[in-house]
Amino acid sequence: MNIENYKDVISACRFCFMCRHLATIGNVSFKESDTPRGRALIADKVLKDKQHLKNQDYIDCFYRAELSAASRKHCVSSYDEASLVRAMREDIVDAGLEPEKVKKIAEALRQSGNPFGATEAGIKEKGTKGKPALLYYIDAYTLYKEPKIAESFMAILEKAGLEFSVLKEIESSGKAFSCMGYRKEAAAAAAKTLSAIRKTGCTTLVTSCPASFDAFKNDYQKQGAALDGIEILHSSQFIAELFKNKKLKAAGKTVKISYIDSDYLKNYNSITEAPRKALEAAGFELVEFGSNTEESYAMGEGSVVYDQVNPELLPKLKGRLLEKSNPGQEIVSASPYTKYAFNSTPGSTLKMRSLEEAIAGRIS
Amino acid sequence: MQTSRDNYVFEMIRSELSWALGDEYVQSGDADKLGHSIDYYWVPELWHDRGEKLPGPDFIVHPGTAQEVSEVLKIANKHKIPVTPWGGGSGSQGGALPIYGGIALDTKRMDKIIEIDPLSMSVTVETGINTQHLEWEIEKAGYSTMHFPASIACATLGGFIAHRGTGVLSTKYGKIEDMIMSMEIVTPTGEIINTLPVPRHASGPDLAQLFLGSEGTLGVVTKATMKIHPIPECRKFHAFLFKTMHEAMAAGAKIMTSRLHPCVIRLYDEAETAKLIKRVLGIDKQGAYLVFGFDGPEGIVDLEMKYACAICSEQNPEDLGTEMGQTWWDHRYKFFYPPYMFHMPQAFGTLDTVATFANIENVYWAMKKTVTENFPQATFIGHFSHWYEWGCMLYARFIIDEPPKDSREAIALYNKIWDMAIRAAIKEGGVINEHHGVGLKLGRIMKDLYGPAFKVLSEIKETLDPNNIMNPGKMGFKGV
Repeated sequence: MNIENYKDVISACRFCFMCRHLATIGNVSFKESDTPRGRALIADKVLKDKQHLKNQDYIDCFYRAELSAASRKHCVSSYDEASLVRAMREDIVDAGLEPEKVKKIAEALRQSGNPFGATEAGIKEKGTKGKPALLYYIDAYTLYKEPKIAESFMAILEKAGLEFSVLKEIESSGKAFSCMGYRKEAAAAAAKTLSAIRKTGCTTLVTSCPASFDAFKNDYQKQGAALDGIEILHSSQFIAELFKNKKLKAAGKTVKISYIDSDYLKNYNSITEAPRKALEAAGFELVEFGSNTEESYAMGEGSVVYDQVNPELLPKLKGRLLEKSNPGQEIVSASPYTKYAFNSTPGSTLKMRSLEEAIAGRIS
Repeated sequence: MQTSRDNYVFEMIRSELSWALGDEYVQSGDADKLGHSIDYYWVPELWHDRGEKLPGPDFIVHPGTAQEVSEVLKIANKHKIPVTPWGGGSGSQGGALPIYGGIALDTKRMDKIIEIDPLSMSVTVETGINTQHLEWEIEKAGYSTMHFPASIACATLGGFIAHRGTGVLSTKYGKIEDMIMSMEIVTPTGEIINTLPVPRHASGPDLAQLFLGSEGTLGVVTKATMKIHPIPECRKFHAFLFKTMHEAMAAGAKIMTSRLHPCVIRLYDEAETAKLIKRVLGIDKQGAYLVFGFDGPEGIVDLEMKYACAICSEQNPEDLGTEMGQTWWDHRYKFFYPPYMFHMPQAFGTLDTVATFANIENVYWAMKKTVTENFPQATFIGHFSHWYEWGCMLYARFIIDEPPKDSREAIALYNKIWDMAIRAAIKEGGVINEHHGVGLKLGRIMKDLYGPAFKVLSEIKETLDPNNIMNPGKMGFKGV
């Protein structure tokens, strides 16, 4: 079983409560089973007796996990509770026991390359013909649900006078597969995407999607599809550099905003400064969101397609976020998923903007 | 009564609970039952580790208000089924374990801050709130609860109220029973009552103190008003290494009896200094490590620090300076994370107690002698964590690296150590516990500790809870 590779995590987490305050879903479902301890106890039972893997209640619990990795980030010993969840999902998929809703999403990914089964992207084509060094990768959430994010980023690139080409996630990058437990499909998708990226001849790859960024930066190498020789950047890092190199200048009065950290940027890649620097360089005054820097407010971003797997939990996640927000304060996210999940969930008139949209409107 | 999932009564109770709370907040699935069948008590951990079946709840409910708690308790009274309150589940005494099945009443949904009163310096809050969340919110408002237990991130405010918990800064800011000003309580029969709005009065006996530490046996505390404090201008630490624990104890006691006001003093015996201070803080020294801190306006802090250091210097200890004191503060929670915390397959227990300065060293030696002479397989270590004007708390621990393979044998050994060590402490002027509570683990010693006074406690319990639904079998009270 894949979870056998995480015996140390199971052993450490099963009786440990020290990170439960950061259990993103546990904080809104209030369930003991929605904490790293609760999941490790279940994994331990499965390790002792594989028959427990068939328990639908246990399976549901592992697919409710949001994979924010906030608990792993907090742990003084960095026990990898997030990878344990992924390993358990792989075991569930290997045994053909994944929930029907998960099977449907996987099928949509196989058929259409995206979790929505969408075929038409509402994005305006831009980019330079030929083989420029800079490639902008547009993930499925941006492509089909939040095209303004890509349009804003491309407008920023044009403003900076840069040539670039575009690669759209017409076929899955593999990240959604890998988070749902489809290891083989994820590796195959990684190989295909790698080939498509190589064909562009780029030396710098930028994406607005933190999950895709993490796939390129960390997953692909493990899946045998390393992007050697290509610099991989999140759009916030790229924009921060453009400001630093004076390719962009801020215009307009200072405006206060709150920035919400992305799970994949902060907890998986320790990137917290670049988005803030980019926003500050664009003339925003940042007001820290919430009361701490550890809790995840990314609406389940870590599970990549969380809104599709657990739509019933989104109002709870949004409620928690609204509870922590400063009244009247505009919120900006560096994650297309988070923006989409927040804005498409009923519960308030407050709308979240993407970092790219916020900055595109403030540069000269 | 222990219900069976397939019988009619089970479904009737489920229906009634769902009508009261909504389907979403009534659970009986295996995943949740597992989580609620193990707390931080070593015995259920051992059973789980050995793959043995654990007693668990039939239902887990998540009420959102005092009124909903009241509804749950009325249903439980009607069907005469046990109700075990559960906060963060991180108690070490088995107090939150639903040992007779029935309803686990999980309080975490009651997690709202109702009001911060900057004039009176207090916060009114629902008791299911995680204490780290509470502290973060209070800090955002510019204050602090000054409640910094190692379990701050694990536990709920209600959990601390239930077992008279404490935090690292208790020496200045008090234990939870000193921090709480008033409470809303749902009694076992479902009445919602309030204690008086202020913690000091001459309007009869202090009802609040009756419920503080009652471990869910007398009802469910649903709301509390708690003191908050300004963020101090500075907090400074200093550490010394004494040749013996006795010399360090003399220094610590003198700091307290001189009526200086440290926010914290912590003294590690020679064994724990060698074992844990080295492992966790990297301070590799022989002797007894003593650290203390002061907070407040810098001028006062510096002056008190000067006097405290002078008291310590009378014993000619090695001065470890401020840095090795600050290191302790910075890593104060690290001791409790894996792999630093003791863990399976080890058998371990925290034999915490409290006594006057006149008795505390005798308590320490009596416990140590009892453990080391009767159980040579056990290691005994200890530190003195919470200091008062009259005495201090001993956080003694025993560790057995290789307990018996047979669960019953291991548990019998574990219980025997507890029993003998705590009774040895009581004989020398100690008590059952200082801040972890009584729970399931130590209930059997309550009658011996209190003597005839335990009848008073039992009669209060019987009067308030005629059907004995609230956390039966805990604190020495009658089981089902």
